[in-house]
Amino acid sequence: MADILIQAAALHKSYASGDAVVKALDGVDLVVERGAFVVLSGRSGSGKTTLLNMFGALDRPDCGTLTLAGQDLLAMSAAERARFRLRHLGFVFQAYNLIRVLNARENVAYVLQLQGMDKKQRFASADRWLAAVGLAGFEQRRPDQMSGGQQQRVAVARALAAAPDLILADEPTANLDSHNGESLIALMERLNREEGTTFVIASHDPTVIAAARTLVTMQDGRIEAVNHL
Amino acid sequence: MFALAWRNIVRNARRSLITVSAVALGLISLIFLWGFNDGVHNTMMRNLQQVIVGSIQIHADGFFHHPKLVHTVPDVNRVAGLLKSAGVAHYSGRLRTFALAAGEDSSEGLILLGIDPLVERQVTRMDSKVDQGRFLRDNQEAACVLGRTTARNLGVVPGDEVVLLSEDRYGSLAAERVRLVGVINSGEMGIDRGLAIVPLGFMQQMTGMQGRYSEIVVQLQPARLEAVASQLKQGLDQSYEVLRWYDMYPMMKQWVELENAFYYIFLSIVLLIVAAGIMNTVLMSMLERIHEFGVMMALGCGRMQLAGMVVIESVLLGVAGIAIGVMVGMLLVHYFHGVGIDLSDQMDSITRFYLNPVVRTEIDTDHLLNTVLAVLMAALLAAVWPAIRASRLEPVEAIRHV
Ligand SMILES: Nc1ncnc2c1ncn2[C@@H]1O[C@H](COP(=O)(O)OP(=O)(O)OP(=O)(O)O)[C@@H](O)[C@H]1O
Ligand SMILES: [Mg+2]
Repeated sequence: MADILIQAAALHKSYASGDAVVKALDGVDLVVERGAFVVLSGRSGSGKTTLLNMFGALDRPDCGTLTLAGQDLLAMSAAERARFRLRHLGFVFQAYNLIRVLNARENVAYVLQLQGMDKKQRFASADRWLAAVGLAGFEQRRPDQMSGGQQQRVAVARALAAAPDLILADEPTANLDSHNGESLIALMERLNREEGTTFVIASHDPTVIAAARTLVTMQDGRIEAVNHL
Repeated sequence: MFALAWRNIVRNARRSLITVSAVALGLISLIFLWGFNDGVHNTMMRNLQQVIVGSIQIHADGFFHHPKLVHTVPDVNRVAGLLKSAGVAHYSGRLRTFALAAGEDSSEGLILLGIDPLVERQVTRMDSKVDQGRFLRDNQEAACVLGRTTARNLGVVPGDEVVLLSEDRYGSLAAERVRLVGVINSGEMGIDRGLAIVPLGFMQQMTGMQGRYSEIVVQLQPARLEAVASQLKQGLDQSYEVLRWYDMYPMMKQWVELENAFYYIFLSIVLLIVAAGIMNTVLMSMLERIHEFGVMMALGCGRMQLAGMVVIESVLLGVAGIAIGVMVGMLLVHYFHGVGIDLSDQMDSITRFYLNPVVRTEIDTDHLLNTVLAVLMAALLAAVWPAIRASRLEPVEAIRHV
């Protein structure tokens, strides 16, 4: 039996927008196995980001159950969730992932610092991961000295450096041209294969969808289809 | 965390510089004002003590309020021994009584103060206040020094004779004819009017009070005043009174304390401005980084760590301002201590007694420390609101923020 990483059942989340109530999640059940490469697709407003935030222990559902790496996310306090994110999760957002005043090496090392690794070790580790994402030689560059694609690669390196169980990426290619988007997704695929790290990526980018091994299609806060490819 | 806070400050160098300069400028003006204030106050208090009053006087109990010729210090040797063990090398024994002085035209009631010119020189500087004639020289000479107003009232000038009338130890009349050798023009009414200074030996002879003293006067550094006073009080019984200068003349100390209190009010206003300036900067730089804070929270940075970073940024701004402010402020105080600020045009004769026409700035350590601490507190205070805001951010909303 496959090792289950995420188990979500009957997740609901509503937002009040003016007088109306928007059901961002309207009963989501999903199981993600360890080592999976999942793409959440669906129209804008279908609930991809909301679901990703649930998995990321950044937000809580109104009701439902959610366990991740065997732990009940909904029973955790805010501080416990922060600690959980630090040890189990990596994030790649759409853009502006990096801390402006830190260079590439320091950005990658930042999470390791939060984890309590000493300086020499975390810088060495950061350099290894930068090399792994094809950014050897860019260690000293600050975010404003790198292209959008390079910044996203640094974010991937940072997410991986923490040795997480799961990397969550929300529209990681949305701000990139198609070439950069393709190579970023190829990088993620490769790391998924080589490191065995689980990826859940929200995107409506066809390139990303084409790379999915599990394609989850969402509509109106519900899961419409789960295709194993 | 510290490095990150530092980078954030350096990143917006212009804004940080303006804030640091504002803090420094506030502190410089506070330090300079303290320097002027303390320079004036300390000079006044020093002058009061050094010209005639001394730092501590020892009398027979009750003498200060009811001075009587025969009410003298019970045992001078005992006092001298105590002073010696307290490390006080010089003291002046004086005799004091009421007298009537008669000159060419008229007479006037005054206080007759007997001092030993050679001994007195080691304790006070009353000799320096003589501006016509000379001060007393010889402990036995039949001479006197009068204040300017008294001399004018009596119609005498140096070289003239003055007749002094007082009681002797038996209560009968003692009269002596003395030569006026000098006139004091101090600007202080209590000295310029109603005081005749005569040699101690001469006065003891005149009143039959050989070997007796009304007051023992010592001069001390301000830092030693309290210790010596309490040592004396412990060593002497109820038949003595040990009075510090401000026990005898409380007005000046009260005035200094009142003025200092006003300075502290002024200080708190400046601090409020400083705190508002720092808070503005820290809050602005925090609001600019909401998205970044959201990302940091997603990565696992805790709320307290974020708040801590904001506090560190604020304190760094404060400390940088303090470093510059203290350096420049103390340089200014040091410079104007050497050069002095000439206020002779602004001074009338009364202030001239207590104040030197050239004010030399100096700063009391506790005033400097309190001010620096207060600025540091202001920087901390300025961080409170931005830090609370940072710690209350919800990661999802912060990340969405652009
Ligand atoms: N904080 C919020 N307040 C109010 N409504 C919200 C909030 N967050 C999300 N929503 C609503 O919830 C629904 C789902 O939003 P979500 O961001 O999950 O969609 P999405 O699939 O990620 O869309 P996109 O592809 O545009 O990123 C939308 O209708 C959105 O307007
Ligand atoms: Mg979205």
